[in-house]
Amino acid sequence: MDILKFAVRKLFGGIPLILGVTFISFLLMVYFGPDLTWEKLGKNPTQQDIMEVRHELGYDQPFVKRYGNYLKQLVTLDFGNSQMTDKKVSTILKETMPVSLHLIIPGFILGNIIAVALALFAAYHRGTWLDKLIMTGSVVGMSISFLIVIIAFQLLFCSSFGLDLFPVRGWEVYNNEGNIIWSQYFKYVTVPTLATVFVALGYNTRFYRAVLVEEMTKDHVRTARAFGHKPASILFKSVLKNAMVPITTRIMFSIPLVVVSGSLLIESYFGIPGVGKITYDAIVAGDQNILKAIVGLTAVLFVIVLLLTDILYRVFDPRVELK
Amino acid sequence: MKIIIKPIIALALCLMLVACNNSESTDTTEKPAKKENNRYPGKKVYYHSMDGTPTTADPVRAATVYTNFLVLNEFDTLYSYKYLKRPYELKTNLATAMPQVSDDGLTYTITIKKGVKFHDNKAFEGGKGREVLASDFVYSLKRHFDKKFKSQGAWLFSGRIVGLDDWKKQGSDYSQTIQGLQALDDYTIQIKLIEPYPQLIYTLAMGFTALVPHEAVEFYGDEFGSNPVGSGPFILQSFNQEKAIYFANPDFRQEPLDLAFEGYEESIHEFTGIKELKGKSPPFIDVMEVHFIKESSSRWNSFTKGNEIQFTTVPKEQSNSVIMTKKPLKLYPQITDNYHHMYMVEAGFVYSGFDMINPTFGNNGNPEHDAKNKALRCAIRKGFNWDQRNRAFYFGLGTVFPGVITPAVMEFDPTMSKDAISLDIEGAKILLKEANWNADNLPELKYHTSGNVTNRLFYEQFRGFLKKIGYPVNKIKYNPYPSFGAFNKALKNGKTPFFSLAWGLDYPDAENTLQLFYGPNKSPGSNNFNYQNPQFDALFEKAKIMQPSHERTVLYQELNQMVIDDCVVISGLSRNKIYLWHHDVIMYPDREILGGFFARYVDVKE
Repeated sequence: MDILKFAVRKLFGGIPLILGVTFISFLLMVYFGPDLTWEKLGKNPTQQDIMEVRHELGYDQPFVKRYGNYLKQLVTLDFGNSQMTDKKVSTILKETMPVSLHLIIPGFILGNIIAVALALFAAYHRGTWLDKLIMTGSVVGMSISFLIVIIAFQLLFCSSFGLDLFPVRGWEVYNNEGNIIWSQYFKYVTVPTLATVFVALGYNTRFYRAVLVEEMTKDHVRTARAFGHKPASILFKSVLKNAMVPITTRIMFSIPLVVVSGSLLIESYFGIPGVGKITYDAIVAGDQNILKAIVGLTAVLFVIVLLLTDILYRVFDPRVELK
Repeated sequence: MKIIIKPIIALALCLMLVACNNSESTDTTEKPAKKENNRYPGKKVYYHSMDGTPTTADPVRAATVYTNFLVLNEFDTLYSYKYLKRPYELKTNLATAMPQVSDDGLTYTITIKKGVKFHDNKAFEGGKGREVLASDFVYSLKRHFDKKFKSQGAWLFSGRIVGLDDWKKQGSDYSQTIQGLQALDDYTIQIKLIEPYPQLIYTLAMGFTALVPHEAVEFYGDEFGSNPVGSGPFILQSFNQEKAIYFANPDFRQEPLDLAFEGYEESIHEFTGIKELKGKSPPFIDVMEVHFIKESSSRWNSFTKGNEIQFTTVPKEQSNSVIMTKKPLKLYPQITDNYHHMYMVEAGFVYSGFDMINPTFGNNGNPEHDAKNKALRCAIRKGFNWDQRNRAFYFGLGTVFPGVITPAVMEFDPTMSKDAISLDIEGAKILLKEANWNADNLPELKYHTSGNVTNRLFYEQFRGFLKKIGYPVNKIKYNPYPSFGAFNKALKNGKTPFFSLAWGLDYPDAENTLQLFYGPNKSPGSNNFNYQNPQFDALFEKAKIMQPSHERTVLYQELNQMVIDDCVVISGLSRNKIYLWHHDVIMYPDREILGGFFARYVDVKE
């Protein structure tokens, strides 16, 4: 019951956050974003044509009215049609978000699990050559641009110039009923996942190692060692569990971006119709209806994630009170 | 430690070397693997690729080559272009014959084929496509003048057809008849013009004038562009930001391929295998997937893999591994052994220009100022090294020509003086000196363009050109815009004294590029130069209503010369593209004026 009350309070408390995020982002879109008028005009426009397009885009309405419409759209979850294409924003998101989720989830999960495992290993062997090897690998992963990793992996694993094991492009993973064909799924998701894991490992491992090393220097760990607990027991029960608060924070706060933003580069280079590319195209073109949906939903997701994170804190550390 | 690290490093290096070494040498000697056809068992499938993404398949917004490709395959236009004939030549498509034009050139009467059906679709009663009628053309053209459809093609007809503009002013009521646009009966269209418009027939071969059924537009509403319903050779099954999938229209009219009529020449087209298709009725394939791939490395990998896309243009970064010699153009045997190729000049050009009503480089009415600025513009043009631009950015394969009549049109004069495109550094310096320009009083030159890496390189190269004529480099600034829309906004608002752009021809008639300098088309119209020359305008008005003739060509060339003499534009270069496609595909691809029309003639060897 306490959790329920806390959740309701927290959700209401998230409203100012949503209002703030949507207001600032909308302000930026309106006053600093691309003006779509000039993309939509024909080759030889007249002033009348310009006025008509601006009216159609709603640019001639006062800011407050436009922001009010945005909030209404957010509440009703009806963002109208994309301003660049002829599809409803809801249809676009319905089509692309599951694709991005299917694409990103394996890399997200593996990237975090392997990173925690490596970080534990490195922290346990702190200062040895194994630690240095893992940290060097992490720095390499962090240093190489994601774009380069994608191009190199595509060349290496997919192209006829390399190992030619996987498709270069595409996402033929659903049957006519829309269900996943798993064999196809693994065929198309493997290389994007490898690229994602390669890059994510660097950042994640370094972060998790730092957290774990700090935890290992705590008194309770030293005490556990003194009492002769086994290293595995100390690592998992005393170190990892206590380090779960910052680890959870990092993982949970990545979720809204994974769900809503997808991965532009992966989607572009592997020809995957996900939400990342849609978002990028909307930013570049100034498709405000799509941007409003993406920003609004991301803000809502952040509020939900904040709530879940607080609840998870208590799971990992009973001293945390849900206030 | 060393024992473990060394094999890891060795393995990584080996893998990288395998990948890199192969990529550099374009080891494409292996025959392309056969495409797995699990998705379309028993079907003949062609996998096309394009380097951009269409945002809609609605004809009223067919303003890009990408959208036009979709539209021309889903819908029917009254006319199209002969598949293989160059220079481009119109032929009938949905129309039964070329239009009957009245003696005064003001009335066009066109009959359309009987029995042509729209694709079956739930938008129609009972789901069965009904017959295409003349009234559908009238409706389709009216849509351009209905605000709710956000037309990008209305400019082609605005002020041209009797009563059409008024119809829009009166609220776009579809029950109202327009005097100049009528269906005389189910199969006869009549168009009455305000003044002769010889280019009208070309517009009737553009995606903009494709015939749409009002039932589908009403049924799908704002989403018609992603659920198009036409009567063309293919039926769009799905369409997203990555690809479009078409199925062949099983009811497409039987029109056997007449090779001689389409312009087949054994010496030019024999290698394509098109001869095999003689007498057969298109479409020849069952399924066409069109992949939209902007990332050139990804497109190249997919193409060379052998079992994915079957067509590509050659990306810039692959030019060294594809092109063996440039003059004459020869490709490496690894390429020619595995792929068909063709090489063609684009129907358009790239150029830089001056805003003539901006006193920085243009005119302000003071004869002394105007003469001085003209000398400056001409000096900048003389300092422009087209040869170097061509070599650095277009494989050295671009066609550089003086003025704005491009090599893609009949009116192009290959014998024209090349002075306007010849590098003349000394001449430029003399011009500057004679007009009393020096390092101190030369104006700041901002290079306005869309912000991207290529444009930045263009700018750096341009700055180098101007340095050679004595223009202080610190006075030449890069002025990028975050998107083409932002750049276009600045352009149309007269904030770009000097700009760089490209123009794609809408139809193969020099009027399409000369109108870029016609006074009444000034910003926000297509005359971004804001060139105001009464002599030019008078001559243009005379020429634009003339039917193609030697007399008109002479006028066009006079207009071209005026633009050159006034140093309004630094022009131009038509890019040449190399197209590659797999040996098992029979086609002669052309995305220029022909646009998507070629796809119906594509066949794939089984």
